[in-house]
Amino acid sequence: MQRLLDEHLDKLKTRIIKMCSLVDEQVSFAIRSVEEENLELAGTVIDLDKKVNKFDVKIDKICQKIFALSQPVAMDLRYIMSSLTINSNLERIGDIAVNISENILLIQKKPAFYNQTKIAEMFTIVQQMLKNAIDSFIGENAELAKKVILSDDMIDNMNAENHVILKEIMKYNSENIEPAVALLVISRELERLADHTTNIAEDVFFIVEAQMIKHKYEKYLFTQDDEEEEES
Amino acid sequence: MKETKILTEKLSLFYSEKQALKDISLEIPEKRVTAFIGPSGCGKSTFLRVLNRMNDLIDNVRIEGKVYVDGVDIYERNIDVVNLRKSIGMVFQKANLFPKTIFENLVYGPRINGINDKKALDEIVETTLHQAAIWDEVKDRLNENALSLSGGQQQRLCIARALAVKPEIILMDEPASALDPISTAKIEELIHDLKKKYTIVIVTHNMQQAARVSDNTAFFYLGELIEYDRTTKIFTNPSIKQTEDYVTGRFG
Repeated sequence: MQRLLDEHLDKLKTRIIKMCSLVDEQVSFAIRSVEEENLELAGTVIDLDKKVNKFDVKIDKICQKIFALSQPVAMDLRYIMSSLTINSNLERIGDIAVNISENILLIQKKPAFYNQTKIAEMFTIVQQMLKNAIDSFIGENAELAKKVILSDDMIDNMNAENHVILKEIMKYNSENIEPAVALLVISRELERLADHTTNIAEDVFFIVEAQMIKHKYEKYLFTQDDEEEEES
Repeated sequence: MKETKILTEKLSLFYSEKQALKDISLEIPEKRVTAFIGPSGCGKSTFLRVLNRMNDLIDNVRIEGKVYVDGVDIYERNIDVVNLRKSIGMVFQKANLFPKTIFENLVYGPRINGINDKKALDEIVETTLHQAAIWDEVKDRLNENALSLSGGQQQRLCIARALAVKPEIILMDEPASALDPISTAKIEELIHDLKKKYTIVIVTHNMQQAARVSDNTAFFYLGELIEYDRTTKIFTNPSIKQTEDYVTGRFG
C-alpha cells in the first residue's frame, strides 16, 4: 500500500541526493583546483556554495513538514532524524570545499614541497570516503558505511604527519611560511571533511541498523545496562 | 490557486435561543481537503451540517448569515434541498448502509434519480467501487448483504454510495473514528485519491489525522472559528496561541 508519507519521503530523498551531488562536485572541484592549480575552478566551488545553502534550507523545511504532518515512527523516524544531520554535515563539507579553494586562491600555486606532504594522498582517500558515504546512504548499505568510518583514522594520522613535515619546512626557510600555512589549513580541512563524512556514515548505520555509533569509542561502552538505565 | 467552492459569510446558528455557531466566515477551495478540528462540542459537526442543510431536519434551528456553493446561496427559498444533498454527499461516523445487497445500496440513489438501465447501473456500481478502492474486495459478492462486510469495508461502501449520485462535494463527519488503524489508513489513502475530483470537508477529533490528510485546517472553539490556514502552517507555526495550545495538546 503506497502511503501518503512515501510521497514526502521520496521528495526528501531526491533533495538529499541532489545535495550530495552538489557537494561531491564542490569537493571534486576544490581538489582539482589545488592539484591542477586551476583558480577558475576554485571560483566555481565558491559559487556552488549558494546552491548548496539553498538546498540545506529546503531539506530542513521538508523534514519539519514531515515531523509535523506525518508522525513518522521506526525506520521512517530514523531516516528523517538522520536526514537532518546528514544535511547539516553535507553543508559543512561544502563550506570546507570553499575553504580549500580560498587557500589555493591565496597562494595561487602549489609550493615546491607540496609532494613532501600527504595532502595528495588525503585528497584521494577523502574523495573516496565521501563517495562511499553518499552511496551508502542511497543504497542503505551499512557495510559500506562501516568502511567509511574505519577510514577516518588514516586521515587523522596523515594530518598529524603533515603538521610535523610542514613545521620542519617552515623552520628551514621563512619564505615557506605562507604556503606551508596554507597547506596546513588544507590538511586540517581535509581532516574535518573526513570527520563530517564519517558522521554521515554513522547516520546511515543508524538508519539501517537502528544503532547509534557516533563518538566511536562510546559505541563500545554503550551496553545493555546503559539502555535500561536510560529507560527508567 | 484553486477556486472557492464553498463560502460562508458571518454564519451563525441557533438552537432556539442558544447560539451554537458565531459569525463564521470561511472559504473552502475546490478539489482540496479541508479539515475541521476542535474539542468536543466546539461546533465543527454542526458547521459541517450547515453546508448541506442537514440542520434543517432539527427542530428550532435557525441560521443567520450566508452560505454559497459555487456562488449560489443555498439557503435561498427556491433551492431544491434534495438536489443539494445529491451534489453535496455525506459520510457519517458510523456506516449507515441499507439492509440490502451491496449492489442495491449503490444503485438506490441513481434509481430514484431516474436511472433504470441495467448496463448504466452496472457501470455506476463498478466505477464507484473502484473509486472507493473496494472493487477487488467485493466484485464477486455484489449480491451479498452489505451488512456482512467489515466496518472498514462498510464505510468505504458508504463513500461509494455517496459517489454514485455524482456529487461535487463530499462531507465526512469523523469517517474513521470507529475503525481500526489499517482501515483508517485505507480511508485516508482514499481521501487523498478522491480530492483529485471532489472537494472534501472532513470533521475529525484526531488532530494527527487532520495533519495527514488535509490541505487546509480550520480550528473551532466554543462555536467560533479561531484560525483557518494551510495545514502545514497550523501544525508548524500557528498564528494564534489558542491554536498552538490545542495542537500541542495543552488543552482539549
